Amino acid sequence: METQSEEQAVTKPADSGGEGGPPQVAGAQAVRPEDRMTLLLRLRAQTKQQLLEYKSMVDAHEEKTPEQIMQEKQIEAKIEELENEVEEAKTAFEIKKLALDRMQLSTALRKHLEKVDIKTSVLMNNMKQILNLNKLIMKSQQETWDLEEKLLDVRKKRLQLKQASERKLSEIQTEKNKQKDDLDSMENSDKIKTIQQKLETEIQITTVIQHVFQETLQISFLKR
Amino acid sequence: MSVLRPLDRLPGLNTATILLVGTEDALLQQLADSMLKADCTSELKVHLARSLPLPCSVNRPRIDLIVFVVNLHSKHSLQSVEESLCHLDAAFFLGKVAFLATGAGRDSHCSIHRNTVVKLAHTYRSPLLFCDLEIEDFRAAMAQRLVRLLQICAGHVPGVSALNLLSLLRGSENPSPEDL
Repeated sequence: METQSEEQAVTKPADSGGEGGPPQVAGAQAVRPEDRMTLLLRLRAQTKQQLLEYKSMVDAHEEKTPEQIMQEKQIEAKIEELENEVEEAKTAFEIKKLALDRMQLSTALRKHLEKVDIKTSVLMNNMKQILNLNKLIMKSQQETWDLEEKLLDVRKKRLQLKQASERKLSEIQTEKNKQKDDLDSMENSDKIKTIQQKLETEIQITTVIQHVFQETLQISFLKR
Repeated sequence: MSVLRPLDRLPGLNTATILLVGTEDALLQQLADSMLKADCTSELKVHLARSLPLPCSVNRPRIDLIVFVVNLHSKHSLQSVEESLCHLDAAFFLGKVAFLATGAGRDSHCSIHRNTVVKLAHTYRSPLLFCDLEIEDFRAAMAQRLVRLLQICAGHVPGVSALNLLSLLRGSENPSPEDL
């Protein structure tokens, strides 16, 4: 079932000569060829890109597309597989480009160094400055490390002192407790009980003797 | 029944053509005007259509980018877009198709859920853009974005192709709409 739909077209003319549309001054003849050059260069770049796209489409069509009807899930999986392939191709390309740039840069650098007088070149000055800075950095890092080591040692010692004082205090505590226990136990011991009993008997004997002496003294007074 | 193919014509010199497909004529017209006002070094041609297939009688240039405008307030626009999608050659979906959902700002009027368009865009592996075309500033910003997209799809930007852009755009999307 065909549904014919309406279509409208709207257009806009390109900015004359390209970027920004500067007002065309009649006397500025020198501006025109410049704009034409940039326009031509831009068109050249465009045409190149479009040609690349057409070429890649032709290459793509040369590959056989699978004609069999696949299930939906399979199609999804296949699509994701292809998408991953695209991403991999892109990253591989980027990495290769980076490697190529690095090689080009290093050869350019080498050529430049060969050409230029080594002692006075700005590049060498920069590199020397970089080396000096690196040395300074390494030295100060070493100093920081040493200071941190010292700090760590001091902290360790403090910890040890603390632990020693803890032990001493706990020893004192145990000693005190032992003394108290001894004192408590002494009160209940048997030795003390026997001594107490003996003391009591002695006291009784002395009171008896005291009474006896008092009686004899009283009797002697009465006899006079 | 004519199927639209992406590369069946030669490109015009310094020309880029975009086709806006959607049922909301006023919005499409406004978007077209904003796009024509935008800064662009190439010549822009904007074609508007309610649905595909396009009438064969018209002599039209090679279409570089197709934007399907779905209004989240009306189910009819989504249906018409889905029907139009059948009339496109598969080669178009390699970066030359984009979906634009409008009307997301007024949530109470939305009859289509956001996830529906997200799934649609995911099925067709095309970028989905959100924009409230009724608001002038957003429309101007979206027009600028579409102009850049169009330039890349037309091959006017050296070093970037439509497929390249597609994989770039895909990277920044939310992962796995299956979680939704």
